[in-house]
Amino acid sequence: MLYEYEIDYDTRNSYEKGLNEAFWQFLVIPEENDTQELTYWHFENDLGERNSVSQNGLGFKTVQVRSKKELDHIKFNAHFKLTKKEINPFDFELPLDINEERKLVDSLDFRVDHEPYLRKTKFTQLLEEHKTIYTFDPKKSIFENLTELNHWAYGHLYFKTGVTDVNTSLDEIIENRHGVCQDFTHLFCAIAKHHGVPTRYVSGYLHQGHGFFGDSQMHAWAESFVPNVGWIGFDPTNNVLANHNHIKVCHGKDYTDCAPLKGVVYTLGKNETEYSVFVKASQQQ
Amino acid sequence: MATIEDKSIFSSYIKKEGLFDEVFDKNGEVKEVYQKLLDLYGTRTIDDYVDLNNKAKSSFFNQGITFQVYGDKQSQEKIFPFDLFPRIISTDEWETIEQGAIQRNIALNHFLWDVYHDKKIVKDKIVPIELLSSSPNYLHQMMGVDPPNKIYNHISGTDIIKHSDGDYYVLEDNIRCPSGVSYVICNRTALKRALFGVFNHYKTHSVTNYAENLLHLLETAKPPGVDMPVTVVITPGMFNSAYYEHSYLAKAMGVELVEGRDLFVENDFVYMKTTQGPVRVDVVYRRIDDLFLDPMEFSPDSALGVPGIFAAYRKGNVTIANAPGTGVADDKAIYTYMPDIIKYYLGEEPILKNVHTYHCSRPKELQYVLDNIKDLVVKPVDEAGGYGISIGNRLTKDEIERVKSEIKANPRKYVAQPIMSLSVHPTYIDQKESFEQRHVDLRTFTVLGKDEQFVLKGGLTRVALKEGNLIVNSSQGGGSKDTWVLKQ
Repeated sequence: MLYEYEIDYDTRNSYEKGLNEAFWQFLVIPEENDTQELTYWHFENDLGERNSVSQNGLGFKTVQVRSKKELDHIKFNAHFKLTKKEINPFDFELPLDINEERKLVDSLDFRVDHEPYLRKTKFTQLLEEHKTIYTFDPKKSIFENLTELNHWAYGHLYFKTGVTDVNTSLDEIIENRHGVCQDFTHLFCAIAKHHGVPTRYVSGYLHQGHGFFGDSQMHAWAESFVPNVGWIGFDPTNNVLANHNHIKVCHGKDYTDCAPLKGVVYTLGKNETEYSVFVKASQQQ
Repeated sequence: MATIEDKSIFSSYIKKEGLFDEVFDKNGEVKEVYQKLLDLYGTRTIDDYVDLNNKAKSSFFNQGITFQVYGDKQSQEKIFPFDLFPRIISTDEWETIEQGAIQRNIALNHFLWDVYHDKKIVKDKIVPIELLSSSPNYLHQMMGVDPPNKIYNHISGTDIIKHSDGDYYVLEDNIRCPSGVSYVICNRTALKRALFGVFNHYKTHSVTNYAENLLHLLETAKPPGVDMPVTVVITPGMFNSAYYEHSYLAKAMGVELVEGRDLFVENDFVYMKTTQGPVRVDVVYRRIDDLFLDPMEFSPDSALGVPGIFAAYRKGNVTIANAPGTGVADDKAIYTYMPDIIKYYLGEEPILKNVHTYHCSRPKELQYVLDNIKDLVVKPVDEAGGYGISIGNRLTKDEIERVKSEIKANPRKYVAQPIMSLSVHPTYIDQKESFEQRHVDLRTFTVLGKDEQFVLKGGLTRVALKEGNLIVNSSQGGGSKDTWVLKQ
């Protein structure tokens, strides 16, 4: 089955003191992959500047806007249509031997090939005292362990907006036990990596027709590499595997690689950012 | 009977036991390459020399050949102390240095290609994965990216010393933004002005061809389809300690010196703002560290870089030299694997020796370091400019304890090496108005181009001006000497 979605990403950034030179980069274009195909895209900014499509360092498409006019705000809108295939997250055969699997994950070649997503970052580094907060069961497969971790993270944190922000550290999140999708995802990534499973942070859109948490903003989930299977998406905020409601934009080591908006503005005053995301399932075939 | 006071320039020169003197051999005799020079200087008195030295000093200041020291309360410009008595390197010795520097830097380039592609050296267990995974300079954005001509370290500064055994050793590989080459050229110019007659007696290789060679080799890496590349030098700005050098090199190459805000990126092309409108830039010789290069990709609060330049680079629309990500090999921990790295990629024995290094990250070696700290130099693996170095036999008891606890707290951060006895060279000491022995090293400059390499025949001889001091960096109170490489 194919799902059709329409996505609207709207943002307005205002600058108290105004500015006369700026560069913005939006990381909001859905990735084209086996399960999703972009059929329409349109970008608009209210400055009359060109929207150039480029690529970030990990190969994901970006939109760049540069302005050298005097201005005090920018409004940017991106509109996408895409089709997404039905995904059965369980549609794979698991490797039979749990010991073999572990041996592979611990091998040097595997660790070298997956070094980028085994590397601990500021947001995915567990403190010494948190390393035992969740342990993998050696009698279970990696996939089973990850599924249980997904469930555990979902239960360990309470979804609450406004208490954390992009700078909140992982240990604060673990101690205070609440946060948003980004925090659930960092927690999942940190523990999976700690157990030797390559795991990456995913940024994207969530179609919220089914009472999921996601708060009409961009959503975050994780992808872990399971030997002989490949990358599998886990959404610890909702305790599900990523499915046809998860529309991926990009991945990275943590939020830092996936921030939907990065900008360089030459100004002294404060700035304010508001944005909203709307995902609509337009049609099912 | 009146005695005539000996006022010749080496009258009060003391040759200490156990030090390797570059000018005098063990028996106190002048070495062959210096003989003519000493004959010439010998006809002069120390007073003549003092006069000459003062003139040269004011000339440096007038030309603005200065640098700044970080961390001073009042950051002030200083002239880089310069000694009018040159260091001379014979043709044969230079041959070894040059071949050794090329070998090393080519091996480093292979290493960089490998760690950003197949990572064979790690899979073959020559270099541990932890060295890469713990390095902030190992840029994942460079994975699988092919830099133009497959060159990463276009410009390398290899620091070499002569040990008391008479052999050359490499102390450090500087392949981020090695500086110092402008001093080499200014030293030569100053010496020619002060002592032009002396050059008639020696056949010395020129150093003033550096900029043209640099430009030529950089331009061999121009983006495809570009006929007449536009090259720029990008500097962090006038507050950077090496700003003089950035402006010097731009001027000597005949290219623009720019700061990040002078460039902009549109549609993945880099442009320079000019009074005649935007001009496309093809080659960027950058003197900005990786993490400040592009706030879209690396450190987001960097105001020094150019937003979007990395995307332009990945697309092949601009060449950045040295390539982003080169810094991963400029690490004192990687240095210790250099003999293995050379053998692995080139199948050759290293021409220049490495100083034996203990890794504090290895428990056994950590113990050795802690037990023998008095005989070792302890260095942080990721600091440049001689910052954070502790020399065991110069530390007080308290200092030793402090260094030990720092090492124990963060073993990966430190390596240790036996205290090397750098060779000494007669050096004019301003305050004493006489010549004394001072430790020296040599920074050489290698430029890699498409199928060709260039090593500047000369280099920066750095002098530790404080008596007995072994740290020669300009930021640590070092001076410099003109360095002559003799033609056959």
